[in-house]
Amino acid sequence: MEKLTETVLSIMAGSKITLEIFVLTLAMSLPLGFFVALMRLSSVRPLAVIMDVYIWIMRGSPLMLQLLFVYFALPMVGVRFSDISAALLAFTLNYAAYFAEIFRAGIQSIPRGQYEAAKTLGLTYAQTMQRIILPQMIHRTLPPISNETINLVKDTSLIYILAMNDLLRVARTIVQRDFDMTAFFIAGLFYLVMTAVLTAIFKRMEAYYGKYDE
Amino acid sequence: MENTTNKAEYMIRARGIFKSFQDNEVLKGISLDVCQGEVLSIIGPSGSGKSTLLRCLNHLETIDKGSIEVKGEFLVKNDTSGRAVYAPKHEMRKMLSCMGMVFQQFNLFPHMTVLENLLEAPLQVKRQTREEIQPVAEELLRKVGLYEKRDAYPSRLSGGQQQRVAIARALAMKPDIMLFDEPTSALDPELTVEVLKTMRGLAAERMTMVVVTHEMTFARDVSSHVIFMADGLIIEQGHPADIFGCPKEERTRLFLGNMLH
Repeated sequence: MEKLTETVLSIMAGSKITLEIFVLTLAMSLPLGFFVALMRLSSVRPLAVIMDVYIWIMRGSPLMLQLLFVYFALPMVGVRFSDISAALLAFTLNYAAYFAEIFRAGIQSIPRGQYEAAKTLGLTYAQTMQRIILPQMIHRTLPPISNETINLVKDTSLIYILAMNDLLRVARTIVQRDFDMTAFFIAGLFYLVMTAVLTAIFKRMEAYYGKYDE
Repeated sequence: MENTTNKAEYMIRARGIFKSFQDNEVLKGISLDVCQGEVLSIIGPSGSGKSTLLRCLNHLETIDKGSIEVKGEFLVKNDTSGRAVYAPKHEMRKMLSCMGMVFQQFNLFPHMTVLENLLEAPLQVKRQTREEIQPVAEELLRKVGLYEKRDAYPSRLSGGQQQRVAIARALAMKPDIMLFDEPTSALDPELTVEVLKTMRGLAAERMTMVVVTHEMTFARDVSSHVIFMADGLIIEQGHPADIFGCPKEERTRLFLGNMLH
């Protein structure tokens, strides 16, 4: 029993780093993704093309490779990050690309009539975006955003290769030390609880932003 | 239109408007005048360019050639090489703000209640306070008969109700001119009536209106001037009694024959 308590406490300590990466990545990649989407849709051609290439690279290569690149390859050319910064940089750049594509589709799904109505009423581009397009876009993109967010919880486990003691790495260490699988089950439970909480939050948000639907 | 009134009474003067979409020339030199308090109806077969013409008047489309004056100021005019050049952005914004627009598809903001739809532009654009504008908005909703729906979302309203809200929303900005782009074309016949009634009410208050419509009865009974368009040209125009009573052009006769059975 005492051993179980110790296992749970260790894993709980490990989940702190997992949550840290998760929360900070989300807080940075969502706004970044939105601005990438706007630039991707911009009529300034070079800007749109650069964003296209960025999204292609980030979505087209493994996140693991991107992590290794930031952590191991960049220091070779003199760019050095702390463990957590390296992880955050890679995760944020990767997830911003996915979010950007979701936001782009969301923005493009808003009928042109909404822009026209806003224009004839005298709203500026910024006001139209902020007051008319964004709230409708959030409503439409919540389901795919929710998907990606749950993916992110699980993807944080990739940082074990950076030798950071996240939830999964702590669990694996205990299993290898004790030859006892319990730690894996507990780790699994931790992930499930986190995703359950997220699912509940997104459900409430969808209800809130969907209150204008029939 | 041989008008002798002075320049200031013209709400809109358009001269020689040309507009193409890629290789398709939609407007082939259209000129029109809209005077204060006038109700101008634009009729014609679909594809004749009448909606595009209306959308050019408030810059939802940009014209290739020609000029548009709004209340005596140039929104757009030809430069020396004959290409249309628009006024600076801030001047254009001022001119466009005196025109309200009602769309075929209503285009209400679905995430806002009826009342919020009306308040949005006065609050954001005119920076009016809620205390100032809310009574005005509520009065407008009473006028279109939808005061009790003020807290409903547009998705809960019928098409006719949505269109009346859209009219009230445009009026909340106190425009001098109201543009209607086939306002009843997306509505069931029995819902058309309530929207037309609202529009008749506006005309009776001497609101300046430009209406693109397939409602021949409305065009005949309410307008002060009718333009018949086909293939990007004005074929015939005049007083509704003349256009509907004894059209001079064969195309007009054919069109009206089809529309009125």
